[in-house]
Amino acid sequence: MRLIDEGLARLNSKIIRMANLSRETVELAVRAYLKNERLTEKIFNNSETLRILQDEVSELAVELIARYQPVASDLRYIKSCMEIAYGFSRFGRYAYDIMQVLEVFGDLSSCDQTKIIKANDIVHKMINLSIEAFINKDLAKAEEVDKMDDDIDDIYESHLSNLIKEKPQDLRCAVSATLILRYLERIADHASYIAEAVLYIVKGERRPRK
Amino acid sequence: MDIIIDVKNLNAWYGEKQVLYNVSLQIPRYNITAIIGPSGCGKTTFLRCLNRLHELTPGNRVEGEIYFYGKNFKGNIYDSKVDPVEIRRHMGMVFQKPNPFPMLSVYDNVAIGLKINGIRDKKKIDEIVMDSLKKAYLLDEVKDALHKSGASLSGGQQQRLCIARAIAYNPEVILLDEPTSALDPVATSKIEQLLVELKREYTIVIVTHNMQQAARIADYTAFMYLGKLIEFAPTEELFETPKNELTERYITGKFG
Repeated sequence: MRLIDEGLARLNSKIIRMANLSRETVELAVRAYLKNERLTEKIFNNSETLRILQDEVSELAVELIARYQPVASDLRYIKSCMEIAYGFSRFGRYAYDIMQVLEVFGDLSSCDQTKIIKANDIVHKMINLSIEAFINKDLAKAEEVDKMDDDIDDIYESHLSNLIKEKPQDLRCAVSATLILRYLERIADHASYIAEAVLYIVKGERRPRK
Repeated sequence: MDIIIDVKNLNAWYGEKQVLYNVSLQIPRYNITAIIGPSGCGKTTFLRCLNRLHELTPGNRVEGEIYFYGKNFKGNIYDSKVDPVEIRRHMGMVFQKPNPFPMLSVYDNVAIGLKINGIRDKKKIDEIVMDSLKKAYLLDEVKDALHKSGASLSGGQQQRLCIARAIAYNPEVILLDEPTSALDPVATSKIEQLLVELKREYTIVIVTHNMQQAARIADYTAFMYLGKLIEFAPTEELFETPKNELTERYITGKFG
């Protein structure tokens, strides 16, 4: 065992903690929307914890670089952990933003939730796959996440163009759905960045950003 | 890429023992190329083959070709018609342990090679000595001690004196064999800065067991293992995304 390995293990466990907490936070936010539950405080606290964990990951990464001057796969892993931690903290932030929509608009359970349910199903899978891809360094799963990102983009873009065509009667439902779809689409982007980071860790390759 | 040294299928032996196996490598001009690898991997032997020092030990043998594309020499340095002394003039060597001539002054350590090579013009010698000391970042520190013994300098200054001595011959390539392993970090850092400065005028090949040193100063890095060249790449590539599993394991310290 190398001296750096203990530090890398600590980094890994922080990332996994962030992965689980950020997944849970996004799930809570979507549940609050679908079932009109008030989970603002819980989601705010989770989001704050994720932000603090992101700072800790950053500090630990810099410490490992300063102490061990890592190279090759160690260096790629540490750099990626910083990016991935940022991604997870964004999950928390967007979950909080979804919660804020409920705070502003109140009960939205009577609005048509079909599109959000559909988008959430995909985002939920993308989050899980990106976490599994990271934990198991599984390139096939990372690849799947990348493909699913296009589906989310399609849902969001077709929602926007329909909105303009249809001129919705209920602005409250239309605006809140647009915002929530936008936040889910951003979460999906970050899930695909996490998957891209797995490719970089394993093979040292970078895919051009879309 | 402008290649100054083209090594083709180089093999080398110490007596019966083969220490280099089919090493092929192209060294770019006006760049720093670092050779890294564990002890006994053949990196020093490789360096000593580049200016035909290896064959000086009786029983040692070299096979293969090394093409040198210098200003006044172009061709295979192992061609039977080539005078090895001429090659060593084109490619100066600096060793691990600073080795100034202890009986000679700082000035004469640099001037001796010029005198041996028949330069008698004192003004010219003076000019070359001062210029070499200046290029080696040493002149300011020794200008009042030019006639003191070379051995009176600090380790780092002695090593820079050896670099000045190599420069005085007006070589095109400077070969360095672990030049900072006997020096403290401050002296090491000065030598590293000096080498990065010198690559504007010279091609530099450095053997180092300090990977961070290679990462800091080299443009290209070669990794050798058990007498073979395993990987040769731009330094940032070799240290960020090595292609070979052995390189990866060696530089991350997962070896053996």
